[in-house]
Amino acid sequence: MSEEVSLSYVQEPLATAPPEVRQIIERVRQAEKDKLYMSKPKGINDDILAIIKECVK
Amino acid sequence: MKLISLKICNFRCFYGKMPEILLSGEEQRNTTIIHGNNGSGKTTLLNAFTWVLYEKFTAAFASEEQLVNKRAIAEAKQGESVECWVEIVWEHDDKRYRAKRECRAYKGETIEQGESKLYMQIAGEDGRWNLPQQLPEDIIGRILPESLHQYFFFDGERIERIVRSDNKVEIAEATKTMLGMKVLNRSIEHLGNAKKTLEEELKSIGNTETRQILKQKEQKEKETEKLTNRQTEISQELSHQETLKKETSNRFRDVSGAKDLEERRKELETQKTTNIDRLKQSKEALQRAISTRGYAVFLPEVTAEFRAIVNDLKQRGELTGGISQEFVNELLNSKRCICGAELHEGNHFHENVSSWLDKASIAAVEETAIRTIAQVDEIDKQTPKLWEDIDKEQANINQFRQEISRVETQLDNISEELRKNPAEEIRNLQKRLDEIEGKIRELTLEEGENKQKIADLNIEIENLGKQIAKQELNEAKQAIAQRRIAVTQDAIERLTDFRYRLDKHFRVQLEKRVQEIFSSISFKNYLPKLTDKYELTLVENTAGREAPVAASTGENQILSLSFIGGIIDRVREWTKDELMVPDSSTFPIVMDSPFGSLDEIYRRQIANIIPKLANQLVVLVTKTQWRGEVEKEMTNRIGKEYVLTYYSSKPDCEEDIIELDGIPYSLVRQSPNEYEYTAITEVEYEF
Repeated sequence: MSEEVSLSYVQEPLATAPPEVRQIIERVRQAEKDKLYMSKPKGINDDILAIIKECVK
Repeated sequence: MKLISLKICNFRCFYGKMPEILLSGEEQRNTTIIHGNNGSGKTTLLNAFTWVLYEKFTAAFASEEQLVNKRAIAEAKQGESVECWVEIVWEHDDKRYRAKRECRAYKGETIEQGESKLYMQIAGEDGRWNLPQQLPEDIIGRILPESLHQYFFFDGERIERIVRSDNKVEIAEATKTMLGMKVLNRSIEHLGNAKKTLEEELKSIGNTETRQILKQKEQKEKETEKLTNRQTEISQELSHQETLKKETSNRFRDVSGAKDLEERRKELETQKTTNIDRLKQSKEALQRAISTRGYAVFLPEVTAEFRAIVNDLKQRGELTGGISQEFVNELLNSKRCICGAELHEGNHFHENVSSWLDKASIAAVEETAIRTIAQVDEIDKQTPKLWEDIDKEQANINQFRQEISRVETQLDNISEELRKNPAEEIRNLQKRLDEIEGKIRELTLEEGENKQKIADLNIEIENLGKQIAKQELNEAKQAIAQRRIAVTQDAIERLTDFRYRLDKHFRVQLEKRVQEIFSSISFKNYLPKLTDKYELTLVENTAGREAPVAASTGENQILSLSFIGGIIDRVREWTKDELMVPDSSTFPIVMDSPFGSLDEIYRRQIANIIPKLANQLVVLVTKTQWRGEVEKEMTNRIGKEYVLTYYSSKPDCEEDIIELDGIPYSLVRQSPNEYEYTAITEVEYEF
């Protein structure tokens, strides 16, 4: 399996996601990255709930 | 993270403010070499980085509680404090960061070292330095998490510890963080929590019964329609029966012996209709009188109270006519009294006239009182008139009722007479008429009943309509909650699938790269392996079977460096592929004594490969570590070079020099005073 093929295989679950799912994943990932340095990320559950509610109206 | 510079002041062996150490970050010449003999401060420089960024020290850094330079303390007066600090500037994502950590030592009976404090400034593209919005520690944590720092700022002589078995879990965790796996794990976990909350919210919306209510409403509407149709039928039937009645009564007139009675009946019926109409009118008049004027009955007490208040006011002279406030104001405005005296603010006349303002009444109040008295008089007159009208209408109603009853008795008598008439034809006609009237009564009753039913149904339909609107709102809420849950579930599934594929992809590629690096350095046929938990092991292939190797310190050092190099190299590549790796794609490596116990061949290989793997390299070396193969391999990668000169207080110390580009630089010199300290000199090269 060449690298290109395996790369597209890796990205497939995200690449084929509907726009709102992609948006949620992207924003959740950013929120998690912002709080990665904390051992227990404060308020992350509320942040993610807000992201979902904003993306799906 | 691209390191730009390091400044130190009074930190350990460095006395006073040292010249700024600029760290090379050029692509080809990405390496900064700092030469120093044992004990000259190389480990101190490595720890200067970890102290500023994380307040951490490497294992080789002894006496952490003595950070401030001893000479600076010795020179300070008793009771004074001496400051030491380290400042690092770096670049990350087009921003420049300046972090400075300070610490003070107080010179009392003993030397007391205070807590250290971290300060930060950030400059954007415009180059202006600003204070950050967040805590400096948090900002650093985001750029390079503390848990990872030991893989980038390390002591080469102890580097093998990162692959020792007791560190396997730690390194596996750090690797996952660096590869972005931790972000994925947390994303999946927290999306799961969000999904649970959404499900709770859905429950709280409750069951929607819109369909059932809609069905009920539909049924009621059908019933109403049926009844309305029936009403039309009844109306037609009634008009038909009325016609029949008219025809039947007309036929009476043609029959001798019934004609007179029929005429009389007609007359009585006209009377009855007239009386019914009058009765109706009187009832309406009575209703009207009560609804429009009935309130007057309840007012006498209130009007009496009103009169008492007015009389009281009048008696107290508060409602008397006379001079009004408006009149006094007019005089004051015109600045002249009616007597001709001039009224100027402050003069005697002005004061006199002004004093009337309090005594004078307000014209509008007086007028309103007069008008209200007139209205109250009117109300008082209304009450007897109302009783009179009510009595009159009630008398009328009684009279009409009696009249109707009398007429009805007479009509009954006529009907009875006709029923018993000897002539069969007359008896039959009357029978027919009785039947028609019975039918009309029946239909009229049904009509009235239906009218009530339709009114009730309409109220019910209206209420059901309101319920449906409410339910529809809930349904909309429910639908959105369900959609949110479904989308979240989809995100979780996709991320889980992605994590699985990414994990496999990363491990295979990382393992491959670590193997490549390791085999390019080591002459042994050992193979680094990465388990599914990201634990690193070394195996050898004996007769087609893989067996773990009891690796030497040197081999573990090579393995550790291969691993760090492999990660840096892969992260750089994966960032290009826009995979979910951390934002940092640039990592510096700061190594102290990197070639500790390695043989010549290994030293050469590592010296050759490390500058290629790291984005930026800072190497702290002794003369013996540098000379020969290492120097040869690294020279064309050097962007900056410094020498640490150790000033010894020992009277007969042996001085040492290093020759760089033909110029001698002191490594050890005699101190001009009783203190030992280190100075930093930049090597002037024409690169």
